[in-house]
Amino acid sequence: MSATSDGSGRKNWTVELRKRAVAALPPEKLLPDGQPAYMSSWIYVFGVLSLASLVVLILSGSILALKGPTWWHVTGIGHFFNSMHLWSVELFFFFMVIHLWGKYWMAAWRGGRKRTWITGAVTFLVAIPCALTGYVSQQNFDSQWISTQAKDAMNAVGIGAFFNLLDFGQMYSWHIFLLPMAVVALVAAHVLLVRKHGIVPPFILDGHEQVLAAAASDGAEAAEAADAADAPDGQPEPATEAPAPPTGEPEPTG
Amino acid sequence: MSRAERKREDEQYRTWKGPYRPYDLIREASIAVGVVLAIVVVLTILFSSPDDAPTTIQSWSKAAPVDFVSVANAELDGSSATAGYGPPYNTNGQPQQILGIKPANWFGVTYPIDTAQDYVILPLMTMTSVPGLQNAVKTYTSASSSQQGKWTTAYDSALAKAKANSDGTVTVPGNSASFGPVETMMSSLLADAQSGGLDGNLLTTKQFYQTDYTKILMFLQDDNGDNAAANGGNLPDSANPGYFFNRAQSENLLGDQWGMMNETGSWPGQVWLWLYTFWYQIKPFSTSANADILVMAVMGVLSLAFVLIPFIPVINRIPRWIPIYKLIWREHYRQA
Amino acid sequence: MAAVFNLNHPPHIAHWHFIYLSVPNIIVIVVMLVAFALAILLPFPKHKVDRSPS
Repeated sequence: MSATSDGSGRKNWTVELRKRAVAALPPEKLLPDGQPAYMSSWIYVFGVLSLASLVVLILSGSILALKGPTWWHVTGIGHFFNSMHLWSVELFFFFMVIHLWGKYWMAAWRGGRKRTWITGAVTFLVAIPCALTGYVSQQNFDSQWISTQAKDAMNAVGIGAFFNLLDFGQMYSWHIFLLPMAVVALVAAHVLLVRKHGIVPPFILDGHEQVLAAAASDGAEAAEAADAADAPDGQPEPATEAPAPPTGEPEPTG
Repeated sequence: MSRAERKREDEQYRTWKGPYRPYDLIREASIAVGVVLAIVVVLTILFSSPDDAPTTIQSWSKAAPVDFVSVANAELDGSSATAGYGPPYNTNGQPQQILGIKPANWFGVTYPIDTAQDYVILPLMTMTSVPGLQNAVKTYTSASSSQQGKWTTAYDSALAKAKANSDGTVTVPGNSASFGPVETMMSSLLADAQSGGLDGNLLTTKQFYQTDYTKILMFLQDDNGDNAAANGGNLPDSANPGYFFNRAQSENLLGDQWGMMNETGSWPGQVWLWLYTFWYQIKPFSTSANADILVMAVMGVLSLAFVLIPFIPVINRIPRWIPIYKLIWREHYRQA
Repeated sequence: MAAVFNLNHPPHIAHWHFIYLSVPNIIVIVVMLVAFALAILLPFPKHKVDRSPS
């Protein structure tokens, strides 16, 4: 529904936001059903595995939150969900770091993707205190030790004056609400940036530039033919950005 | 490459103009969640997770009564780690500094702890039915601070030869008169600790509901085996740990055991903290009283650099020079 | 609910000069490196390349 301007000359914030959102992320970009052909490596699954680990972290954490912080100490089923939460953390960092290694060696910040790198790196850095607040919320010997040791680093830089690792109530609040919200917001920004800018193309090797340029100019006609044949699940052209034609390369014989 | 050349080079990576193939984003994400869930459930069934029961004042004072009494004495005479910590607990010590800057001083005392009052005097004053105790406390509190120091110092020296008895009490050899009222105070405090009363006392505040364990945890962590003021701060001393630190040492959690990375038992821990703990192992950090602020500064700089890798010369070119990318995109290069 | 493997005992430690790493942590690090190497080296299923971008 879009109403016409109210005639006052005042900008409608809602319309502005909608226009900018749709321009940045039209539906076919937000939820594409194609991916660049060069994505033929298992390294590419580590991003979605990191995301999946975060989902399992939040699910297992939510179940722990349902019953409160004492439950997992006194029941077997509670301990089971606590174990799931702990192993999800291990997997989250496991997959995220391998994803990071892959992205570094691909120099994935190229082509206007620096903010994608930045949001990903900041997510890693925020996940660390999120984990720390979790460890000190366990209410066992490990929490006692970690909190009394790590407090020195907090105090030394001054934030210990208002971020008290020894205050269970505060740490629990940060752990189950504030920091997960921050992580989720950062991951959402990161994923939306990936959707907006696309996956970084491969480095162009010397000599290949001419091959790709020639293929690109040949590909426009092939693209139209392919679209016509593709009618059942053909996608409408994106509203604003002109679609990039395929190179029209022959199908691999393999 | 000039800056303009670099910019031009970078622009050609902005949009992929090459071929695509069909792909189901939601299906892939759903499969990923299923796979991770399955792995997590399997790991849980195989390995579960640790849950070491917390140390209490009661468990500590029962297992190591001489150790407990020596820490309590240090709290009383102000030689414990907490007593001399400085902000945010008190103003008795200097906080850590870097280039002369002491950030802890900017925010001052936000969790005030007076170790003599909070850990000894006030709990003893609630024990009104113990014969002679209130008189002993009054004798102590009305004495001059130099007299108080003479008593606690004499008691501390004698504790080096103290013995734990089977009934949980402690026998401190030497001239009782030189200890003044301190011996009575300490033995009453020990009894209170062993009964569990001191745990409760240290958790009580003006509020009914309690979620802040600062006071009691600071008392527990003062048990580092030496009087921390003499130890240059509260660096854990693995050569002579007290009960609490001893427990941590047996779990490989001490600083020089790279404890930050470790979980209790044989579970994998926090491997991602390897670089944080690494700095503490080498000079100048390993021998510095300002180790924490120095390490945080180094890690702060490195973290910022990590976030800004795309902008950092040389670092942002390494992926081109060490062409792991040729392996990742080998299919693409083969077809091109 | 007891675990299949009881990990509630001190771990083996790799101790060399100031390096002090628990074997479980070393296993995690090694598995990460192996996973990274395999992810890059293992062949990926081939797909038909035909579509224009959607």
